[in-house]
Amino acid sequence: MKQKGIRPLLSLTLAGLLTLTGCTLAGRDPAVSLYAPSEAQRLVVYTSHKEEVYQPIIEEFEARTGIWVELVPGGTNELLERLTEESDKPRADVMFGGGVDSLQAYQDCFTPYFCKDWDLLEPSMRSSDGLWTPFSALPVVLIYNTKLVSPGHLTAWHDLFSPAWQGRIAFCDPSISGSSFTGLVTMLRAMKGDQDQLLMDFAVSLDGRQLDSSGQVLTSVASGTDLVGITLEETALKRVAAGDDIALVYPSDGTSCVPDGCALIQGAPHPENAQLFLDYISGEDVQRRMESEFSRRPIRTVQDTEEHLPSLSDLSLVDYDITWASEHHSALLMSWAFYFGGGDET
Amino acid sequence: MKLARSFRTRLFAGFLLASLLPLLLCSAMLLQIFRLRMDAQADTESREQLDHVISVLDNLYDGFRQTSQALKASPYVAPALAQGQAESSMVYSELYSATEGSRSNAQFDLYDRDGNWRYSTKSLPIYDQLPIHWGILHAARQTDALVFSQIDGGEGNSAPLFQGAVQLKTFDGQEAGYLVITITRSNFYQLLDGTYGSQSDLLLLNRYWRPVYASSSSLSSALAPMLREQLLTGNSLHQEGDEFAYTVAVQEEMGLYAVIQRPQALNQDTRRLLTTVTAGSALVCVGISVLMGLRLSRQMFYPIERLHSAIGEVAQNNLDVYVPPYRDDELGQLAQRFNGMLVALKHNQEQLVENQRELNQAQIRMLQAQLNPHFLCNTLDTMKWISKINQVPQVALMSTNLADILRFCISPEEFVPLHREVEILKRYIEIQKIRLSDAFSFDTDIPPELEDCLVPKMILQPIVENAILRGPAGVINGAIHVTARGHGRTVLQIVVTNNGNGLPQDMTGAYAHRNRELSRGHLGLYNVDTILRKYYGEDFGLYLSAGPGGQGAVVSATLPLRKEEETEC
Repeated sequence: MKQKGIRPLLSLTLAGLLTLTGCTLAGRDPAVSLYAPSEAQRLVVYTSHKEEVYQPIIEEFEARTGIWVELVPGGTNELLERLTEESDKPRADVMFGGGVDSLQAYQDCFTPYFCKDWDLLEPSMRSSDGLWTPFSALPVVLIYNTKLVSPGHLTAWHDLFSPAWQGRIAFCDPSISGSSFTGLVTMLRAMKGDQDQLLMDFAVSLDGRQLDSSGQVLTSVASGTDLVGITLEETALKRVAAGDDIALVYPSDGTSCVPDGCALIQGAPHPENAQLFLDYISGEDVQRRMESEFSRRPIRTVQDTEEHLPSLSDLSLVDYDITWASEHHSALLMSWAFYFGGGDET
Repeated sequence: MKLARSFRTRLFAGFLLASLLPLLLCSAMLLQIFRLRMDAQADTESREQLDHVISVLDNLYDGFRQTSQALKASPYVAPALAQGQAESSMVYSELYSATEGSRSNAQFDLYDRDGNWRYSTKSLPIYDQLPIHWGILHAARQTDALVFSQIDGGEGNSAPLFQGAVQLKTFDGQEAGYLVITITRSNFYQLLDGTYGSQSDLLLLNRYWRPVYASSSSLSSALAPMLREQLLTGNSLHQEGDEFAYTVAVQEEMGLYAVIQRPQALNQDTRRLLTTVTAGSALVCVGISVLMGLRLSRQMFYPIERLHSAIGEVAQNNLDVYVPPYRDDELGQLAQRFNGMLVALKHNQEQLVENQRELNQAQIRMLQAQLNPHFLCNTLDTMKWISKINQVPQVALMSTNLADILRFCISPEEFVPLHREVEILKRYIEIQKIRLSDAFSFDTDIPPELEDCLVPKMILQPIVENAILRGPAGVINGAIHVTARGHGRTVLQIVVTNNGNGLPQDMTGAYAHRNRELSRGHLGLYNVDTILRKYYGEDFGLYLSAGPGGQGAVVSATLPLRKEEETEC
């Protein structure tokens, strides 16, 4: 009897002791409940843009709308994979960044939305079903080191297959970088040959070297490690402006102009705020700002491009089929991995 | 003997619990109270500092507001910005007078409606041009009030960190330009240094908790995103194990959140010290518990162990043990009781031995009595025949009766039916009548239902013999009655009455417990009484009383009423 009586008393005392020590530690911070924004004032954005691009856009968005943005930066494919994993209970509202072919490839994660200025967007760069909203037009360009390569040696895609560049081409792994994948598809479209043969030849030209991030392409060419490289116009222009020894070439046999995009996530917790965000980034102010500050080609028809940028109509554009590219995304990457690995693996 | 749960360990555990638990409880509570008090104190301090910071910011804002109102009201500034219709000295004069109180706190610039810089309180503008579709001017265009926004001006003391702007309009409502107020890092430093404690750090955040200014540069890059994340996830700003605590206040008009970071009131070292002290006290408690436990258990165990060994001796059948009472407490009483119990036990055992000895003697006597009895019976039979041949009928009758009595005596059964006992009694009476020449009458009154009651063999003969010797032998018309009565269904009473001489006074009453020596001359009665009590217990036996009118004597034997089929004999 006595034993039984003591035990609950003891556990009660211990529990009290624990509560006493515990509750003050886990006490709720009044500042948090006082100042934290309500759910209606929040937006969660997954972005693969660089901080210098997204930071001013996000801060301006907050100032204009009063919505608190929670940012999750990361690589395009990494974030898209994460969206697939979270598709049962999405955390994010908006996927901001990534080529639209990549977004198209993960179309199950997104829900269509036609932004406010939809009619003012360049028709060739709009999603047919509103699944994504374009953000910037990003032509694929070739770059070369101006100290090591004379102008005129590199003019088109087919020049890359010259033995002179073998092993000195900066190309990022297309399974890591979306822009690199776009570059690969653009090259296949521009060369108009047998796809497998082209992949095999290109693998030979690379001589087994691929870079791990798209940013390294610029660094590698600028530093002279590589002579030429494949990248996006916007990135290249930024480095040129920074004074790197790099020159751009718009391939004469054709380039693509796949925009990067922004998409509303299926089942987003804050869909209204996400729609405001899509309206905002495709709006005139942001597009102008991107053009003037970041050399990103706007996707609005009414906007004039900057004077130093060749107008899109002057470029020779290949017929880049976004749907085809996204549908063959995995197959193409597998083929590429096969040929890049030497072509003799099973 | 090894015990699974020794009383000693339980005693020790009890002491430990009783001393350690309050100690730990007390320490934990003290620690908590101490911490809460320290926290509250530090919190109050932080609050005061924050109030100071906020009042500085309020003053700053008031200055800005007055400046903006003065410039809005100025007749020269707006037209000058809109059309350039004024001398710049007039505009500067307005600008300087309007910024009189605030000029040391910020740089004031005037931009025209396209965002081009026109006038400044400093020699150089921070930006030659500001976009009107972006940032602060865009925000200013949306409202008439002052708007504020943080800007990332980079490192360095002259880096602009915070901007305010207001749109200036001409009197006819035309957009004219903007007043832009820029606060640099050194401005913030001059304003806020000294408003917070030397141990604390100050962090200014904008409306969306993005860093504006920090008193030490690492805070804005590391702490601000962490605080923002904590706020958005709804967790406490102060994280578990964090060395710092945070207090927040807001300046509403400018949308500036001031966060003071101060070191935890109770830092790791103090906590470690308190824990060490507590652990030390706990150790002392354990030591005292062990000592007390040992001492008390020894005090309890010495007498208990002596009792224990004494009981062991008793179990070994040694009753000559004595436990000296250790001291006058419960255990002493226990020892005394034990001693008393032993004395009683010893007495009982002696009694038992005595009884056994008596029984043995009786058995020996019986065996002696049975020595060659068959020879006696046969001899009596022979005597019967010889007396019949020789025509001596009395001898024949006597020897026949004697032989029957003798046979009855040596028969093996111990209990006999009452009618058989009475039958033998009659034989005895016949012999006595011959001896005493019919000097008395004898009759029996036995109800038929009592005839088969079982009684010990030969209990009536000694009583009747006593009655004959004491009574009828000495009087004329002596009479002896034997009456049997059942009392209830359990008790049988056999009463032998004679009308002879009365009993001596000291003989009346229950016969029980009489000394055998005193019973000399009444050995028959003594034996019967002893037999009855040995068989049936102390409730039964003989009872002697005087007859009616003091004549004669009444001897009654009380024994349990048992029928033949009930006995196991």
